[in-house]
Amino acid sequence: MEEPSKFERYVYKNASVYHYMKISLVLENGNKYITDAQFKQLIICGLKDLYGEVGASFPFDLLKFDQNELTGILRVYNSGLVKLWSALTLLGSYQNEACAFRVTQVSPFLLALSGNSRELRFGDQLIW
Amino acid sequence: MVRFKSRYLLCEVCVPDRSSLQLLEDRTIYNTLRAAVNRAHGDYGSALFNIGVIVKYLNAHTGVVLIRSRKKHYRLIWSALSFITCLENRGQKVQCFLNCLHVGGTIRTCQKFLVKYNRQQLHRMLPDCKTDAEKQEVRRAILSCSLSNVREEEADEDGSDDDDDGDEET
Repeated sequence: MEEPSKFERYVYKNASVYHYMKISLVLENGNKYITDAQFKQLIICGLKDLYGEVGASFPFDLLKFDQNELTGILRVYNSGLVKLWSALTLLGSYQNEACAFRVTQVSPFLLALSGNSRELRFGDQLIW
Repeated sequence: MVRFKSRYLLCEVCVPDRSSLQLLEDRTIYNTLRAAVNRAHGDYGSALFNIGVIVKYLNAHTGVVLIRSRKKHYRLIWSALSFITCLENRGQKVQCFLNCLHVGGTIRTCQKFLVKYNRQQLHRMLPDCKTDAEKQEVRRAILSCSLSNVREEEADEDGSDDDDDGDEET
């Protein structure tokens, strides 16, 4: 007789050192030409306003940047996630123009950002 | 019990010439510290400074400053101290740096530390004395500084003040 298959579940606390955020920049007057360096500089300015020199020196990386859609993936250490997210929330203007950062996804694992249930497209037939 | 716990930062203002210390005011230190915290920690730091921080004591002769802050944010204020390079007092800029000597939970612990520290400083001054008269002065000063004043205060009170003495070495 076969043994019933065992079910094991692993629960990790603080599995990853980094957190990954998928964000997009929304400008009031439509898209502008922004390079990836300018994008990162904008985020650093936001951090500097809210958290000063010490906050602006916190390391984070822009892993991917799409210039047409103005979306990007940021990577930050766990201790800096709250600061980065709050600075993105309170960032209001870019070159005297109103703008906003929308945070689409946040995950400790980069793989999780590849699938997003908001962009899920069903096939033509739903198989029950 | 629920109450606000605070940390007292005992600092010393170090200037190249002591005469410029005389005109120091606690408002000067407060404004300089606020500017330094704003530069170092931004809006968040300014907000924390606004609620909790106050300059409790300033001695213009020795340059001792006692800064009070909330227990949760004293490290933030402490880190901004190192960014202070000059104090502006009525249009005069005095080059200085603030050296933190002691962190205490109450004013009394800071006072006790200050008495011990001053006595150590006097001991250090003794070999540098050039004339005998100066040596006698220093010896008399060392003998006179004691914790007896502080102990009398403790005997008077009922000991209801049990702040946790955050004795940290700098």
